[in-house]
Amino acid sequence: MDFTLLLFFLLAATAVATALGLLLSRNAVYAALFLVLNFATVAVFYLLLGAPFVAMTQVTVYAGAIMVLFLFVIMLLGAEKLPKGEALPWQRPLAIGAAVILFAEAVYLLVQRVRLTAALPDPGTWENSMESLRQMAGMLFTDYLLPFEVTSLLLLVAMIGAIVLTKGERAVRS
Amino acid sequence: MNFVLPIFPEILLLALGVLILILDPFVKRDEARRPFLGWFTAAGLLVALTLSLLLARPAEPALVYGGMIRFDGLGFLFKMFFLFAAAVTALFFMDEEKLARRAEAYLLLVAATLGMSLMASAADLVMLYLSIETASIPLYVLAGFMKEDDKSIEAGFKYMLFGAMASAVLLYGFSLAYGFTGETGLYALALHFGDFNLLAAGVTFLVLAGLAFKVSAFPFHFWAPDVYQGAPTPVAGFLSTASKAAGFAVLMRLFTAVFPAVNADWSLILAILATLTMTVGNLIALAQKNVKRLLAYSSISHAGYALIGVVAFSQLGMTSVAFYLIAYVLTNLLAFGVVAIVGRVTGSDEFSAYNGLSRRNAPLALAMLVAFLSLAGMPPFVGFIAKFYVFLAAVNSNWVWLAFVGVLNSIVGLYYYLNVLKYVYLFRMEGEDEEKHPVPVSRPVAAAVVVLAVGILLLGTLFGPWFGFAEQAAATLF
Repeated sequence: MDFTLLLFFLLAATAVATALGLLLSRNAVYAALFLVLNFATVAVFYLLLGAPFVAMTQVTVYAGAIMVLFLFVIMLLGAEKLPKGEALPWQRPLAIGAAVILFAEAVYLLVQRVRLTAALPDPGTWENSMESLRQMAGMLFTDYLLPFEVTSLLLLVAMIGAIVLTKGERAVRS
Repeated sequence: MNFVLPIFPEILLLALGVLILILDPFVKRDEARRPFLGWFTAAGLLVALTLSLLLARPAEPALVYGGMIRFDGLGFLFKMFFLFAAAVTALFFMDEEKLARRAEAYLLLVAATLGMSLMASAADLVMLYLSIETASIPLYVLAGFMKEDDKSIEAGFKYMLFGAMASAVLLYGFSLAYGFTGETGLYALALHFGDFNLLAAGVTFLVLAGLAFKVSAFPFHFWAPDVYQGAPTPVAGFLSTASKAAGFAVLMRLFTAVFPAVNADWSLILAILATLTMTVGNLIALAQKNVKRLLAYSSISHAGYALIGVVAFSQLGMTSVAFYLIAYVLTNLLAFGVVAIVGRVTGSDEFSAYNGLSRRNAPLALAMLVAFLSLAGMPPFVGFIAKFYVFLAAVNSNWVWLAFVGVLNSIVGLYYYLNVLKYVYLFRMEGEDEEKHPVPVSRPVAAAVVVLAVGILLLGTLFGPWFGFAEQAAATLF
């Protein structure tokens, strides 16, 4: 228990620090790398909560695939450096105000409605979390079979669409 | 076999799409064989329509595929009209050089139709969202299909950005609903919804905003004129008809299935939205000088008329919406079809391009007259019957002022539709030598135009059986 709690606070501090680093960094590549670190920390949170599948997805899909794509795009576009100065001068005070309101709301909801307690939920045993994985796989191929298949179709169509839009037109053979 | 029937049209559409992909390399080599793909797509869609009508009609409404799909009359009716609209659009595609050359255009059309079909019968938030995306993504690509044309690229990009925004808002609504009730099935959600009034209001607001984009209702209509103007004309026609009808199908299902408990509060807001949609669409349409933009604003106002039926929230109301959409799909496809032909010959969509059209091609001018008068709601065309029933539903549900607003708006509409016909019938070309500038119409497009014009007249005069179909379909919602 104590060890888990210690680990939690350590991770929480890392997560907040990396998130801040992402926001404050003026170099897009550093920001992206901070985000990768943030994703990895959050993945460990999921492990602590006894959800190994979500943790693995977090690492492979977000930290792996999506962020690599992000980095490629940033580097290919050569958009690492942000220009100095604000595009919209009134943006910063507005953003600070909105952030304060949102934060107050979140605290109010957590304390008032959810009645936040310090105890972490029981992470359960390894067997239990494997069981949840098994259940999820079962659901995916029974109740959610049709959405699963439609997703594959959607991805195929999106791919064809992307090829149509980006591929140069060849001269027509007569 | 029970597993196949509820998604029988979708399976056929998928098979058609695969066949188009397989045939593409064989057809590509030879210029003479190229029209084959268009005919093949249209014929395939019509075969799918006929087979579904013969084999896969729903009996009792039933939830199938783990509650993902509701196999009922309303979904089926809409699916049949999507197949029809797609077949007609495929014929219009054949006339548009850039679209006809690429098999991908037909494939994307078929995929969008598949998505819309699923939208019409989806009964689960997961399925609903996926089907909306399956319908939208091919349409984004089709709107931006003309890569050399800046306007087309702008149209595709704008449509995608607005669409992504609307999807995000819709997803927020869905996630709120799921978070509070723990259910994704629409009909299971309905059971929990009464307990959370504030939640219901939030969800309704977000979902309504997302769907208002789909049907281009006020205040989410800004994308429509730019997208319709820039997109290839047959694509704009498909966007303004089938895509909008699919949005309404979802709206009707959500409002009858999930929101009955909160309906009383939301009817007034919907009524105000309908009023603003009609009025804004019509008033801005008055100032247009480009036919495609005019039709875009007119299609916004038509979304307003159809919303009147949703506000009425009775069986008659839902029937009138279904019938209105059938009428609107036929009419607007014809209007955009004629605009596509004239645009291709004259190279312009301005009103002045229509000078003396009645002398350049009398049958085409007649088809345009039929389409525009039907849009204006004149008898004996189907637009009149459709408007009549929508207003009747409103009056029967004690929304007299809304029906009144609708009638006033129809009068405004009549003015600008007739204004275009003035160019067609009364004005002459410069030099008054129309005989030397004929407007040729290719065979597939002529076939599509004739089918649509006959359909508008047929549904406008012998509307009894068609209204009966809409009535049966709407009854399965309650």
